[in-house]
Amino acid sequence: MNLSWSRLARLSRKELRETLRDRRTILTLVMMPLLVYPLLSMAMNRFLISSAGPGTNGFVIGVDTEQESNWLQSLLHDPRSHPPESILAASGGELAEFQVVIAPEGNADQALLDNELDAAAHLAISEGDPSSIRITAFAGDQASESARRILIERLHWLKLQDAEGILKRIVPEFTSYDVTTTEIGEPQSGNVLASIIPLVLVLMTITGAVYPAIDLTAGERERGTMEALIASPVPRWWLLLAKYIAVVSVALLTAVANLGAMFATLSLTGLMSTLVGEGGGMGLKEMGYIFLLLVLFSAFFAAVLLSLTSFARSFKEAQAYLIPIMLLALAPAILSLMPGVGLTGPLAVAPLLNIVLLAREILEGDVHPLGACVAVVSTLLYAAGALAIAAKLFGSDAVTRTSDQSIGSLFRRPTIATPRPSIGEAGMVIALLLPASFVVSNALMQWIRRQGGEINVPWQLTLNAISLIATFGLIPLLATVLGRHEFASTYRLRRANVGFYLGAAVMSLGAWAFAYEALVLADEWKLALLNEDQIERTRGLLEKWKTISPVLLVTTMAFVPAVIEELCFRGYLFSAFRTVLRPWHTILATAVLFGLFHVFVGSTLLIERFIPTTLLGIALGWIAYRSGSVLPGMLMHFLHNGMLELVARYHDQLAFLGSETEGNRHLPPLWIAIAGGCLLIGIAIIHFCPRTERPEAMADLSQA
Amino acid sequence: MLQIHALTKRFVGESETVCAVDGLSFEVGPGEVFGLLGPNGAGKTTTLRMVLGLIAPDSGDAEVAGIPTSVDPFAAKAKLGFVSASDGVYPWLTVREMLLYFADLYGVGPDEATARLHVLAEVMDIEGLLDRRAGTLSTGQRQRVTLVRGLIHDPPVMLLDEPTRGLDVVGVQTIFRYISHLRHVGKAVVVCTHRLDEAERLCDRFGLLHRGKMQYEGTLTQLRGVSGREHLVEMFDDLMNPSTPPNEIPT
Repeated sequence: MNLSWSRLARLSRKELRETLRDRRTILTLVMMPLLVYPLLSMAMNRFLISSAGPGTNGFVIGVDTEQESNWLQSLLHDPRSHPPESILAASGGELAEFQVVIAPEGNADQALLDNELDAAAHLAISEGDPSSIRITAFAGDQASESARRILIERLHWLKLQDAEGILKRIVPEFTSYDVTTTEIGEPQSGNVLASIIPLVLVLMTITGAVYPAIDLTAGERERGTMEALIASPVPRWWLLLAKYIAVVSVALLTAVANLGAMFATLSLTGLMSTLVGEGGGMGLKEMGYIFLLLVLFSAFFAAVLLSLTSFARSFKEAQAYLIPIMLLALAPAILSLMPGVGLTGPLAVAPLLNIVLLAREILEGDVHPLGACVAVVSTLLYAAGALAIAAKLFGSDAVTRTSDQSIGSLFRRPTIATPRPSIGEAGMVIALLLPASFVVSNALMQWIRRQGGEINVPWQLTLNAISLIATFGLIPLLATVLGRHEFASTYRLRRANVGFYLGAAVMSLGAWAFAYEALVLADEWKLALLNEDQIERTRGLLEKWKTISPVLLVTTMAFVPAVIEELCFRGYLFSAFRTVLRPWHTILATAVLFGLFHVFVGSTLLIERFIPTTLLGIALGWIAYRSGSVLPGMLMHFLHNGMLELVARYHDQLAFLGSETEGNRHLPPLWIAIAGGCLLIGIAIIHFCPRTERPEAMADLSQA
Repeated sequence: MLQIHALTKRFVGESETVCAVDGLSFEVGPGEVFGLLGPNGAGKTTTLRMVLGLIAPDSGDAEVAGIPTSVDPFAAKAKLGFVSASDGVYPWLTVREMLLYFADLYGVGPDEATARLHVLAEVMDIEGLLDRRAGTLSTGQRQRVTLVRGLIHDPPVMLLDEPTRGLDVVGVQTIFRYISHLRHVGKAVVVCTHRLDEAERLCDRFGLLHRGKMQYEGTLTQLRGVSGREHLVEMFDDLMNPSTPPNEIPT
């Protein structure tokens, strides 16, 4: 059966057509944006009108008599009642306007209750001046309370000026002190939208994705179309992928429609300037970023929703699953509004929260590249993991037309052992690896940093090796045990022809030199993202390496990574990818993953490691493919790492070989020529070595 | 055309393991209608599901047009047509869109699918329905659309699961005509049903299942000979009531 992109597009088009014709989709896609935002803007306008600010003619103060009105107006016009310039500047720079009116029927309190005034004033006037003043505000009304507060302040300023004049007359040497106000630090963005948009994004995307996700999974069961669909000669994950594309598309359409309606409403009602701040606005660049975020949001939510709705027996059951998820999804969105919460540390891999924080950072124009990169990659991996779960569940019990699957069924071991994991299982492992390695390595770094000088270099190296085993070792191992896969075939633990070991060893003699040169070039071309502090720390670490045992260095930095990473990338993931991919696609996919995982180190983004590590991954993948075994690659990986670490440790002693001259960190040309020769000879040995019988023979057969 | 080799399926429950299908074997040739009969829970539907690849057998295999399902399940699926009484439709698609979608699922090219659709629409009298939304069809119309869907990729083997369940007299007659058409065009047909009177009229050969095992297999004449009973209903009664055991026959 030909699984082409055009076929996938046709399958997706059918799902999309079906969904877009449904009245329920139209309701969320069209009616929501048309109705909700105008209503919300009306509510917000009402809120702003009733909030602290005065009306267009200033605060309206009511009094009972003309005498009271005259006195109050003279007070408000008296410059002595005005705050000094410095105080005025600190509180907005504008003097509040007041309008004094005589209340109808001479009852200011009643007029205040009737919402005709902002505040009421009662003055007991005798001999031209009031002996007491009572100012009344409407309880709970911010504008009314502001009017009362400012009026009281005016009275106090007047009293203070009078008192100062009297004091100067009594004590001529009295001088008042000057008060000036000033500001330091970065100005806080007045962009309220930066906080609101992520929250709205979450709501909009869920709204758009929920109905199609339910309809295209649980709905298939309810309509009675699931059996016919699953009986067709198309893999289930392919059917699910078409549904996923449809759900993402509808979610994206809904989100874009909502976003458009929101901006149109805000612009038309004039609320935009209030929310964005003085001189603010949303340009094309910001809109572009928001659109990309919407794609990411939709990709994530659609996968999560599909994995949940695939459990459901019916529409109702699916809705019951999704309501708590919708509420849960709001929690991180609201958490992101809290000050001090940023896209750093474990929060960068916290599902959903990381994207909401990224949205906020983008809209505030303050993006941290590492956090953003980790957030995007981890979200895509979560989406892939959720899709893998959905593919495992979708239609797996089409027989009964009702689902007997439960959450526990995901972890139930199959009764029959299989030779290798599926691509879906590999997706779940990859999705777990990134957050796990990020959290473990970050936690480790933080712990080491907190310990200060107490943790020595040998301990640091040992802990690094342990964290590698705990993530890249244990996660695939658990997946292998849970999936009941045969260890030898899953990890490709087969004996290989001795020529492959020889070729791998010879290749490693050359490969390390090129890896070293790639790092030097990346540094020279300013591709490295390390700051001075990090570079200094790395140099300090390399200096410390010169003092530790070479055995420990080689064990922790060469032996453990060689064994664990080869078992993970060229073992578990390679055999899983080979079930659906051709050999070179498998080699490239595992190499890119290998390169990506070497970029994230603790809280540092080592971009310069990507290309050399990916190239090493390609070489290791090719050896693994040719030999049919993970073992020759393990040898090459060990020798490659070991030589790099030992050259770093014995750098000074190797100076006599011309390893580094003043100002030139490159290896001598002779070394590079020898390394190139070794690499070519190694490649030739492996190329001409008779191939071991490949464990993927069956996969090849089924693809032919 | 269809060969079943020792298919076995057990369902593991909370307290017990049920053997739904136990070493079942039979075969159906081109132009032959085979009735897979048995009471509720006999294992008929489970057998069909295993052949269709909806559930994996614990052991055994099926061979569809020479393709073992265990070796190349997707190629085997492409040779199978399936119709069930509980089949539904996509309410928001037109009948034409839905049928062409299924043709695409089975890898039939657009031109060939359109040509087949016209032929089948004429045979099943749904030409006037092709541009109507499937959600607006009556029960009888839906049934005819479903029958066309099963044949849109021209499979050599057709599996029908309780095809007359819930249908009125007219609907049942439509099914009879459909099965006659299948026989006429040389399809190997398996019909699962517990409507024994209908089975007697429809099928060329029979397999009587009980508790997952094939009890009798053969033509009606052969079954009469070995069971000593005239009608399938009586043979069934013997199966359900062990006090009057049937004659021992090899299957």
